[in-house]
Amino acid sequence: MLANFNFMVIFEYLPLFLSGLKSTFLISLVTLVLALITGIIACSMRISGIKTLQYPAIAYIEIMRSTPLLIQIYFLYFGLPSLGIVVPEIQTGIIALMLNSGAYIAEILRAGIKSVDQGQIEAGLSSGLNYVQRMRFIILPQALGVTVPPLLGQAIVMVKDTALLSLISVAELTRSGQTMTSERFMPAEAFLTVAFFYMCIYFCLKYLADWSQRKLIFREVY
Amino acid sequence: MIEFKGVNKWFDKLHVLNQIELKVQKGEVLVVCGPSGSGKSTLIRCINKLEPIQQGEIVVNGMSVHDSATNLTKLRTEIGFVFQQFYLYPHMTALQNITLAPVNVKKIAKAEAEKIGREKLDRVGLAEKADAYPAQLSGGQQQRVAIARGLAMSPEIMLFDEPTSALDPEMIGEVLDVMVSLASEGITMCVVTHEMGFAKKVADRVLFMDEGKIIETGKPADFFDHPQTERAADFISKILSH
Repeated sequence: MLANFNFMVIFEYLPLFLSGLKSTFLISLVTLVLALITGIIACSMRISGIKTLQYPAIAYIEIMRSTPLLIQIYFLYFGLPSLGIVVPEIQTGIIALMLNSGAYIAEILRAGIKSVDQGQIEAGLSSGLNYVQRMRFIILPQALGVTVPPLLGQAIVMVKDTALLSLISVAELTRSGQTMTSERFMPAEAFLTVAFFYMCIYFCLKYLADWSQRKLIFREVY
Repeated sequence: MIEFKGVNKWFDKLHVLNQIELKVQKGEVLVVCGPSGSGKSTLIRCINKLEPIQQGEIVVNGMSVHDSATNLTKLRTEIGFVFQQFYLYPHMTALQNITLAPVNVKKIAKAEAEKIGREKLDRVGLAEKADAYPAQLSGGQQQRVAIARGLAMSPEIMLFDEPTSALDPEMIGEVLDVMVSLASEGITMCVVTHEMGFAKKVADRVLFMDEGKIIETGKPADFFDHPQTERAADFISKILSH
């Protein structure tokens, strides 16, 4: 079957793929950092116990989680200019991905924080530790351990989601495949190559996830 | 030292504390017992404001516990609390568990706090376990570390919420021994427990609760041998029969 494919063309297009891979990598990296910040803010608001902060955070998280990412991207891509805000495609894409991933990250962080036994928080309270001290010494050290693997899982999802940005003509990895397809009409070869590069990123992140599971996470010794 | 004045508390419609009047003197050892759901844990959890109350007032050392103007941190540093499930911080060693609050709340220098911590560990018979993590300790040892954690703040009052109920039978003794020796040191103690041996040995007073009310109080010998109310008699016969 593979004999039917012409892989020689791929070498010809390799610079295009590599530049697409580079874009995908950079977009992912920037988005990940921004999404983490968004997630931390949204999670803090959500668990603050202050209603005026809590409700907007809940609305944001639920809207992002209940609608398709593609719709969110299109909404920003077509909606923002009609509001008079003109942003280049790549920024639009990063904002959409950031908002989307941020919502999931907020929930991952919240789950991590909630996983810490309420009794330990009461123990901290009883000994006079304030909110910041309880967070810093009791909750976060335990919560971060359990959140690292799902956060890396979300990062993997997010990297693959960047493929959707090809639909608003961001020159990333998937777009490279589309370009080669339109010029040479070899979709199988093109997208197989694209898939291969996504797999490379995936395995790097997966390796990181496994490593972090072994190294970073505090585990109780039973 | 601790005074409840007309305290009422509800969990939704459940009246968990019903018109509680109680005075605990300095140095007194009070044992609180009663069937489950009687409000005894809630009673002592109100003393350091782990629980809010809806009516009345609790005064500890001259401070009104549920008054928002009260310095809650100061109040809580004067009260040690020992939980049924220990609630040690699992990511910290025994010594780190003990020094966390002295260093961060009382602002004691780390070296000094560690010295105090080791003394308290020695006090509960676990000097050699300073660097052990909670999961490496038995239940009885964990509870003794929890007691040392409370003591490290040099509190005037120690509250114990069923400190031996989550322990295997063979470990109850080691925890009770520590508590008995504490009682003899003159620290004010309120202990929710069904350990009658402990109550008889060290309690100055036993308080029996049911359905959110204080039904009966008395000297342990009187209470256990001649309960005044039928409910108390019934309860005592049940905990004795096993």
